[in-house]
Amino acid sequence: MNIAVLLKQVPDTTAKIIISGGKVDENSVSKWSMSPYDEYALESGLQMKENNGGALIAITCGPDRSKKMLTDAAAVGADTLVHISDEGVTDSTHVQQLLAAAIRKYEVDVVLCGKQAADTNAGSTGPGVAEILEATCVTLVSEVNYTDGKYITMRPSNTGSEKVSTEGTSVFAFDKGTVELRRPNVRGIMMAKKKIIESITSSDLNVDLNGSNIHLDSQTPPPEKAEGQKFEGPEHVTTVVSKLRNEANVI
Amino acid sequence: MNFTIIAETNGENLHPTTYQLIGAASSIGSKSIVICPNGKAEAEAASIEGVEKVISVVGDCFDIFDGGAWSTALNTVCEGNILISASPNGREIGARLAAKRNIPIIQDIVSISEGIIVKRPIYSGKAVETLTVSGDAVITLRPNAFEAAGLGGEAPINTVNQSADIKISIQEAINKASERLDVTEADIIISGGRGIGSIENFSHLEDIADIVGAAVGASRAVVDEWGMPHRMQVGQTGKTVTPSLYIAVGISGAIQHLAGMRSSKYILAINKDPDAPIFGVADYGIVATWEEAIPALKSALSELKS
Amino acid sequence: MAYEALDFYDVDSLLSEEERMVRDMVRDWVDEEVIPNIENACRDGLFPDEWRVALGEMGVLGAPLKGYGCPGLSYAAYGVICRELERGDSGLRSFASVQGSLAMYPIWDFGSEEQKNHYLPKMASGEWIGCFGLTEPDYGSNPGDMITKAEDKGDHYLINGAKMWITNGTIAEVAVVWAKLDGVIRGFIIEKNDPGFSAPEMKGKHSLKASVTSELVFQDCKIPKDRILPGVKGLRGPFSCLNNARFGISWGALGSAQACFDSAKEYAMSRIQFNHPIASYQLVQNKLAWMLREITKGQLLAYHLAQKKDAGTWIPEHISLAKMNNVDIALEIARVARDIHGANGILDEYPIMRHMANLESVKTYEGTHDIHNLIIGRHITGIQAFTREA
Repeated sequence: MNIAVLLKQVPDTTAKIIISGGKVDENSVSKWSMSPYDEYALESGLQMKENNGGALIAITCGPDRSKKMLTDAAAVGADTLVHISDEGVTDSTHVQQLLAAAIRKYEVDVVLCGKQAADTNAGSTGPGVAEILEATCVTLVSEVNYTDGKYITMRPSNTGSEKVSTEGTSVFAFDKGTVELRRPNVRGIMMAKKKIIESITSSDLNVDLNGSNIHLDSQTPPPEKAEGQKFEGPEHVTTVVSKLRNEANVI
Repeated sequence: MNFTIIAETNGENLHPTTYQLIGAASSIGSKSIVICPNGKAEAEAASIEGVEKVISVVGDCFDIFDGGAWSTALNTVCEGNILISASPNGREIGARLAAKRNIPIIQDIVSISEGIIVKRPIYSGKAVETLTVSGDAVITLRPNAFEAAGLGGEAPINTVNQSADIKISIQEAINKASERLDVTEADIIISGGRGIGSIENFSHLEDIADIVGAAVGASRAVVDEWGMPHRMQVGQTGKTVTPSLYIAVGISGAIQHLAGMRSSKYILAINKDPDAPIFGVADYGIVATWEEAIPALKSALSELKS
Repeated sequence: MAYEALDFYDVDSLLSEEERMVRDMVRDWVDEEVIPNIENACRDGLFPDEWRVALGEMGVLGAPLKGYGCPGLSYAAYGVICRELERGDSGLRSFASVQGSLAMYPIWDFGSEEQKNHYLPKMASGEWIGCFGLTEPDYGSNPGDMITKAEDKGDHYLINGAKMWITNGTIAEVAVVWAKLDGVIRGFIIEKNDPGFSAPEMKGKHSLKASVTSELVFQDCKIPKDRILPGVKGLRGPFSCLNNARFGISWGALGSAQACFDSAKEYAMSRIQFNHPIASYQLVQNKLAWMLREITKGQLLAYHLAQKKDAGTWIPEHISLAKMNNVDIALEIARVARDIHGANGILDEYPIMRHMANLESVKTYEGTHDIHNLIIGRHITGIQAFTREA
């Protein structure tokens, strides 16, 4: 079976984000990493390959620097590495179209991705790509297995979790899973170094990146937090709780 | 202009977020066309101020949640800009609708103004993005970030039948008491220190954790001296955590503890000593004994959640 | 706070992509498995066996050796591995140094084909632990006068004597032991169950507590003839091993220094005294700036040495310089870092005094600081100043 894993390279979640000239300054990012939820998708894909045979195709849509992340995926076992240039990409529709086109090109049976990327925190890619492929999509999954022609997965439900199954081309968007992420080893690293990354563009995929309905005006630091507020006495608890909801927006 | 609103329910009633979506539309002078999937809460939706009309979509494709089936069924009655709650289901339906209609989607906005200009947090809140929407788009709204609309409307209700194929089949429901989250995974953490008196009193913190879906943490003192499990320890030799909200109860705020939680987005400290160092990093501080503050916190949070 | 390895001049950008991937693999493992457990290992005085297994699985043991199941990495990669391990703990890095440079290397360079095929693959995988027996109770800086003796008994060798300060000794399956055969120093492979051999652990250490240090005792220890290393005679044998280990240490010490610097910086930024973080006071900034200066210099020394090692343009004195300098500054950095941490610095909540105590051993082993000084002095002047005799 051909398993596609959609990966995104993002600033490491511990890296400082510096804004300069109304945009996040990518040059100041100290460390780039594979988006954390994508790591669970990759691990699950590797296990599926081990159990069912086939090939794992790691796909990313991003700038040149994201190729390094594909090499890291190869170091743990990805077979084919596909880099789609993000030149001309301005919104979610573009990314999804490019990824879907690449998935079709490689005759993929199942697509695994993270539930949301650590930079945009959006979560549109999995379901959006599924829609373009006319595939079934299950989100927030913690594991995926394939037996007897069915994909079996676990997702949360109102009462805990539920085991669901799908057939045919399916997309699974991963939450932090129960799987333990494997480490690379030196042999994997040395073999990954030799692996060729297929670099393609939107025109290679016959995807037209036309204009967008949305425009990014600016990226700014978060609003300055107000000075700490101190209250004497337990009678202020209700006031503080409503501030947590209305001011801080955290509950 | 009108916004299409996809309603979300909580049991048989509308989820408060639906009121917030309608309120958000009204705040920029727009009326809402509310779509009620599965015909739920249509009368309630019609009674909200700012609603132009309600379209109740019925069909057996809503029996279980399959984002593909739901979006296929709802798509025919959507038009223009579509607002949905940024709940897990909302995000998925929104993304499928957007892809189906070949329009962009903006997820998890926290503000909206005329233009249409929206803001959303990125990099887990380390930055904010401002975008202008100049054509059709799907927009999902962060729960509780917008004023809810009030009641007082009297909108007409249309019912339409839609069907779509459900491609997900449920094999087994696993009902289990949801395990409490680990401190490294939770968005809200409530931690106890020596100031709560004894290990038994952690049960009060656990009650609060259950109400808001939080993890329970502990200072090193209570791990070493009362035998709380080490995996709950937050601090220099414990875990480093970055939740949206960290509630420190009876914790003085020694440098070793701060090292583990200083990067929390918001910190609420409850301590009977007004000079406790924790108040130096807290966004909200309550000087009170835990005996008085915790029951009050528990009831205030219960009310909020119901 | 997440660990930030100081790299002020961006020296790591000079590494190859493969070397950086190896670095990240080890650094992530140390973050996840070593840092949360090291203080307990230190308190208990144990080297966790899981670490041996993990090092074997990652494939980092015997890093620069080629063939026979060994990694075949560059010396720069070996250096990076040592640096990342020692940022965790010098005892952990000592395990890897002994395994790779002192036990696997002599078999690789001086062993017969049979010996290489028999021992190296299992040592590379971590299944068999190795150790190196050179130092004796009365012969440390002067190994040439060792008294451990091997006698040729026709169909076996008989070894008598004792070695001391041997990392991994008690847990090793394989020991590469240097003894005099007819007055000439030769290498012998001793196996754990050889009759007349025992390896009691040395207890009561204040340093390298998460590492096993042992004596090797030979009382009419009988070994088959095929256990002698055929490829080398004299001190060249053990010294070749030590050169490799010392190279690794020159990188390793920087890891320890970086860990101390990172902790000191974080602490100084958080510790408030007289209403301001102590990082705002001049004397503290002076100390931090000095640390940065020495770490940066040490990094460049280590990096360039790795290039020379990989190119084959090195001499032992080059290694002496780097080992001596980098360990010396690392120990000073640990002391100054402890000072910055104040009283908190004496608790094992912070890694500082563990690094400080460890580095005392690292400064002494693999050639003491003073001996390396004299090695360089001899190189400059041509006159040896180790002994009174000519």
